[in-house]
Amino acid sequence: MSPSEHAIVFDIQRACIHDGPGLRTVVFFKGCALDCQWCQNPEGRRSTPELAYYEERCLPGCTACLSSCPHDALRDRIAGRVDWAACVHCGQCVEACPTTALVQVGRAWTADQLLAEVLADRSFFAATGGGLTLSGGEPALHSEFLRRFLPAAKQAGIDVAIETAGNLPWSQLAAILPWIDRVLYDVKVGGNARHLALVGHDNLRILANLRQLVELREAGASFTVEVRMPVVPGLNTEAAALVELAASLRELGISTLTLLPYNHLWEAKLPRLAGDRPALGIRPHDREYYDQVIARLASEGITARMA
Amino acid sequence: MATTAFVLERDGEIGELPRLARLREGLLDASYGLCTQKAELLTEAMRELAPPSPTTRRLAPIHFGMLERSLARNLASGEPVNHWALLGNRELQRMWLALEDHQHAEPAVLLFARGVAHVLEHMHLHVYDHELLMGNPTRHRIGAALHPDYGGMLMLPELDALRSRPVNPLAITDEQIATLRERVFPYWFTRSIMSRTSLLSDDVELQNQLTAGKRFVLTQFAGISHVTPDFPRVLERGFLGVLDDVRLARRQASTPEQTAFLQAAEISARAVLRLAERMSQRCRDQAEHALDPARAAELRELAAILEHVPAHPARTLHEALQALLVTWVAIQQESFQHGVSLGRVDQYLWPYYQRDLAEGRLGPNPRGRAVELLGCLLGKAAEQLPLFNSMATDFFSGLSSASGLTIGGVDEQGRDASNELTELVLHAYSRMRLRQPNLHLRLHGASPAWLRELAGEVIVEGGGMPALFNDATVIPALVEFGVPESIARDYAIVGCVEWGVPYRSFPAAGAGFVSLAALLDEVIHAPELLAADVDMDMDTIWQRFRAGLAERINEAVRGNEAIEQAHARWRPTPLLSLCVRGCIEAARDVTAGGAEYDSTGLQGVGLADVADSLTAIEQLVFEDRRVTLAQLVSACDDDFAGLAGEALHRRLLDKLPKYGQDRGRPEWWAARVVQAFCELVAGHSNSRGGRYAPGLWSMTTHVGFGARLGALPSGRKAKRPLANGASPSNGSDARGPTASLLAASRVANKRIANGLALNETLDREFLRQAGPGLIDGLTRGYFDAGGMQVQYNVFDVEELMDAKRHPDRHRGLVVRISGYSAYFNDLTEAMKDELIARSLHGRPACQVVEAVDRDAGHLHAVEPEAKAQ
Repeated sequence: MSPSEHAIVFDIQRACIHDGPGLRTVVFFKGCALDCQWCQNPEGRRSTPELAYYEERCLPGCTACLSSCPHDALRDRIAGRVDWAACVHCGQCVEACPTTALVQVGRAWTADQLLAEVLADRSFFAATGGGLTLSGGEPALHSEFLRRFLPAAKQAGIDVAIETAGNLPWSQLAAILPWIDRVLYDVKVGGNARHLALVGHDNLRILANLRQLVELREAGASFTVEVRMPVVPGLNTEAAALVELAASLRELGISTLTLLPYNHLWEAKLPRLAGDRPALGIRPHDREYYDQVIARLASEGITARMA
Repeated sequence: MATTAFVLERDGEIGELPRLARLREGLLDASYGLCTQKAELLTEAMRELAPPSPTTRRLAPIHFGMLERSLARNLASGEPVNHWALLGNRELQRMWLALEDHQHAEPAVLLFARGVAHVLEHMHLHVYDHELLMGNPTRHRIGAALHPDYGGMLMLPELDALRSRPVNPLAITDEQIATLRERVFPYWFTRSIMSRTSLLSDDVELQNQLTAGKRFVLTQFAGISHVTPDFPRVLERGFLGVLDDVRLARRQASTPEQTAFLQAAEISARAVLRLAERMSQRCRDQAEHALDPARAAELRELAAILEHVPAHPARTLHEALQALLVTWVAIQQESFQHGVSLGRVDQYLWPYYQRDLAEGRLGPNPRGRAVELLGCLLGKAAEQLPLFNSMATDFFSGLSSASGLTIGGVDEQGRDASNELTELVLHAYSRMRLRQPNLHLRLHGASPAWLRELAGEVIVEGGGMPALFNDATVIPALVEFGVPESIARDYAIVGCVEWGVPYRSFPAAGAGFVSLAALLDEVIHAPELLAADVDMDMDTIWQRFRAGLAERINEAVRGNEAIEQAHARWRPTPLLSLCVRGCIEAARDVTAGGAEYDSTGLQGVGLADVADSLTAIEQLVFEDRRVTLAQLVSACDDDFAGLAGEALHRRLLDKLPKYGQDRGRPEWWAARVVQAFCELVAGHSNSRGGRYAPGLWSMTTHVGFGARLGALPSGRKAKRPLANGASPSNGSDARGPTASLLAASRVANKRIANGLALNETLDREFLRQAGPGLIDGLTRGYFDAGGMQVQYNVFDVEELMDAKRHPDRHRGLVVRISGYSAYFNDLTEAMKDELIARSLHGRPACQVVEAVDRDAGHLHAVEPEAKAQ
């Protein structure tokens, strides 16, 4: 299948209230261009469909999946049923499983299918000023598909927001901008070396793309740009990181920043997925902590607010 | 509960109103009592007016003893009454009737007019502290009246336990019990609607059918009620004016029946006038004893008001409300107090409020005074309870007397009709926040923003009110049912959700409930379908379901017709008829078809269960061929026991789409079921010349039906509640509020003439995070998509769980049940659990095939605790 005809989507959530104004349908595209240690959606990183195993949903005594695996990757026990080393993520066990203990994360959607799903809530978009939010993973990686899908969505009058971290060639981002109403642009951490260490990539291209967006916006482009930073206590909030981030933003003429509060629930996903990413063990922080981050940024000339 | 800026701003103008706070406290403090006043007074009168014959007096006690024992046995065991016993009973009833009929010089309509007049003449009257309006539905502050002339006999085996029954105990004295046993029931057991219905039914087993509560329930042996009386006429003309109308009609009456009816109507009208005189006198008496001179003045003012209304046309808002209340209370004495609704109060009270404003009659704070008066009216609606026996409590939990009050909407020309009173009624409700009346708000495309905003704020405070109705879809449904558009635009809600023509119709809206789920269960148990080599497809099942549905509806209609004919023949309601437009003009009782518009409502229950079950059968049996129908049915019969059963159960719950997730197939089946149900129901006519009107709401019959039904292919386990109204099954609405609202919009159908209830549970935290306006946004999106009705139940699950453990800490916690609200504390344990289940997150059926991880959410999504609605 050609990438323009299909996209791998791993979740579609309706009636979301934190991903842009109004009630929104959020489409989570699979595949990412960064490798954040705190990745909230680790199931969105890999670009292809993958198996996930929910131990707590496995039915004691049930062995329905065992014979379905052509690669001998399933064991007759509940804890650690999937031998991730042997699993090739073919998904053949998923149908055999009577529960949702074994699920295939991500499947291919055509533009038409996705459009129908998104249009379902259009009357609520109209009533609340909501719309569609492209998320992921990195949705902009699917720009070829989006160039096919978005014109139809726009034609239907849908407000389109994109949540991107911007680590991809400008051309890919630029290709979909004509159909985007709001760019929710994530910056992960200030300072290039720190960025490389925590996220696996430097931030040069991310900042360059942000500059392009800001310039287009200043030139009268119709989309809005909101810069956001996920707060990961202890990792991207040290004073130097905030100072360097503020400097980068100021240099781009950006003076506001939305802070996304840390949510540790992603760690529950780790044992369900292939791979051995470590949990970070960061617990939720109180409002006071965020106020300190906000104050620090303020002293650097950036007006930050909580999402 | 914090209120937002808008309410605060407006409240600032209205002020404190401690009177309403005290009234509310008084009502929350009052215990519930069984009221036998009507039963005793009516019996006293009827024993004089229609005395039993000497033979009846001698022999009937033997029959009564037999019947009492059989009722007790039947109730204790749940076993059907023996066929021969039923036949014998019917023959005896026939004999009593033959012995009695010729005895009475007067037709039933006159006898009962006199009998009810006797009740009104002697009923207990009292003005409670802080009240600005007077009216006593029963002799208790909050009471349930027993109506022996209808179905009151059903209470006979439970009288002794009434004080101590676990759900809805009622105070009753030993003297009351003795009077009922010795004087009241022995007279009525040969004359009540319940006993005489069997004479008109060709199915002697009807009684068993009803007490089994498995396939359908019919309610009207307890009384028809469910009507919005013509309050505007009473306000505009006064009962003296109405009497003039009766006299005029009497000159034109051409048959003895017409003359008798009009004579009865006149007796009834005079009885209401006499009641008002007594009420006025009572006010004066209380004024004399009042210690506080200000209170004495209030009582004297009320006495003066009652001297003027309802005899004469009302001149002020206070008079209008008092005239309305006298009429409403009088009507409650005649028949079962269920669904006697108030209509569009903001419309017909508007001229009085405007005049008061113009004449400066409402004092320095006119808005506050109006809210106070309206609050007093709302409090009155919460003073009465319906009386149910233990079985009926399963089906109608929550003690709703279902008095509907409608505001907002369009006028006859289709223009927005909301006004300042619309707003003040919402404020009055917000202050009182009692389980009754049912507050209904009509919305349309041009409803003003302030109204939508204010309604949203009142809803967020909890309690499930106001329920919201969409003029854009409801009016066309009434037009489709044969109501002219200008009249359809004036629709009001009767009872819970039943949209209908107010003031001039007799909609009998709560007549019956058919379990769609029990029918499907029977269909898939047909031996021909379970044989090993049967050749069938999904259409075979559908056709059988449809044919079964036609038959089931026929059966329910036949049974209901027997009841309705019994009403027309033996228990006319001339007082109510006086207050329903058309009856005086036609010189005919409402029970005989006197109203301008007439219909009977029949509801389908378990829609989501059937849609989910059909979807499961279609996919697992015919598409995937994973199981045979016989295997599926056998797993249901075993309630999914054993590993294989459990695996199948999990597959049904977790991996198949469910109605309410807006995934297509279940909604398609649901729409198909609704269409078939509506077509089949609307094809029937009632004996009054009206049509049957299909509805999709359930009171709590979904719990009662569910308790009597085995497991279903939807994955619902045996005895669990069915889904309520047009709502998804508990736990199936896991794709958020927009998906469940859209699901309900897909079953909306202009043939739904008798209302639809969608319960949308919203977590208060989700609403807090989403900010103000979300309720309005959801409603507008739903209505724009074609939705008809929705009521939002806003609460925290912790609050409910705490209320279950510590009832006394949550006295005033009002929750939405089905089409009505109730105090959480008044619910059966099963209903409490259901409400908690409705609001619990991370529910078993939340997971759907392609979706991955709804538990964990992602960084930017709202936390699942707030999200998983």
